Amino acid sequence: MNPEQLSQRIALIEAILFVSKEPVEPGRIMEFLGIGDIEEFEAILAAMEKEHLQERPERGLILKRSGGGLQLVTKPDLHDELKQFFTVKQSTKLTLASLETLSIISYRQPATLAEISDMRGVNSSGPVKSLLQKKLIKIVGRKKVPGLPALYATTQEFLVYFGLNDLSELPSLEELTELFEEKEQPSLFK
Amino acid sequence: MMEAEFAGYQVQTEFFEGPLDLLLHLIRKNKMNIIEVRLSQITAEYLSYLESKRGINPSRESEFLMTAATLIYIKSRSLLPKPENPAEESPEKQLIHTLIEYEKVQKISRMLQEMEYTELLLWRRLEIDENFANREYALKEVSAFQLAEIFFDIVKKKENEQFLYISSKNYSIAEKQAEILALLESSGFFDFSVYVARLDSIEEIVVSFFTLLEMVKRHLLVAVQEQLFGTISLYKNEAGKLEN
Repeated sequence: MNPEQLSQRIALIEAILFVSKEPVEPGRIMEFLGIGDIEEFEAILAAMEKEHLQERPERGLILKRSGGGLQLVTKPDLHDELKQFFTVKQSTKLTLASLETLSIISYRQPATLAEISDMRGVNSSGPVKSLLQKKLIKIVGRKKVPGLPALYATTQEFLVYFGLNDLSELPSLEELTELFEEKEQPSLFK
Repeated sequence: MMEAEFAGYQVQTEFFEGPLDLLLHLIRKNKMNIIEVRLSQITAEYLSYLESKRGINPSRESEFLMTAATLIYIKSRSLLPKPENPAEESPEKQLIHTLIEYEKVQKISRMLQEMEYTELLLWRRLEIDENFANREYALKEVSAFQLAEIFFDIVKKKENEQFLYISSKNYSIAEKQAEILALLESSGFFDFSVYVARLDSIEEIVVSFFTLLEMVKRHLLVAVQEQLFGTISLYKNEAGKLEN
């Protein structure tokens, strides 16, 4: 691949990602460009990140890989100024109840409402409904027990929202324990 | 530097998320090990929180009370002489098991929260203008189950209405089907809840609903829902017509 060809390909990938609302599957781009070799494609992406986006201080975008795809997003240090420009006061974050519910579903999926409520010790229909509306979880079937309760699992949007490529990227429970071992558990209350 | 940055996602909650949250808080506060914790020791403290309603979400009070009952039961058991049966699942063991599991949930939640925080710093393309996307494309086909849910909702609403007369009319599925097809012929599609709300009696609603289900099953109709919990629209299925 000569430098001119490389530039052309990078330009095209950038344009595709710019127009796409959702992460674009690398396979689709590879097929379109007629690249069969994943390493060749990775080399193009690496060049794109290094020489055109991530490492160029005058660029505001970076190449992000999450949700199993490629996407252009803004650089994290521009966050505050973007918030000012678009007069966004507070980014909407998930509530603690929603996060807990999502924790259970992401590690035990598919899970029923009863299982989630049992583990949290409180009825969780509220957060489940709000997560369904946010499309972070979906109904994947019904459990073959009396009442045929719905089974919930995480969605593609969940992966994108938390910057994951697939569920295997979530740390295992053992790793998680180590992760938080040294840190003093901060109290939420004063 | 890092700490200042991470201060952004620290959540100050007014309330404990639930009884398990409060119990874990008490265990940590008393520097107890969760595996060796004697629940009977923190029962008094738990009850004092409940009494003063400190950090207790009023809408969750019943759940806090239920755990209080379990704690008191555990305490009363510990006061009684008991034949030691290690194979038996004591309520104390059960509660401690739940607490250990819940502690994991809290850890995962904190991790997800940190991930959310990092991701929120990255801005993505905003939703593309509605006109840009082909409207048909965004529609999602709904299942008979979702249709049924809406149906029961409407029946409940209808039940509360007063009817002035008792209709003696009989409805048949064949008649209804002809009526629905005629309606679709003229308007192309209709909104399920609007259509059902217009009907006169529960009997007519039931027959109409059966007709719709039958027609969806025979691929004469397609039911689509544009968004979750949104209304359901019914379209004529051209392909289905050919088959029949």
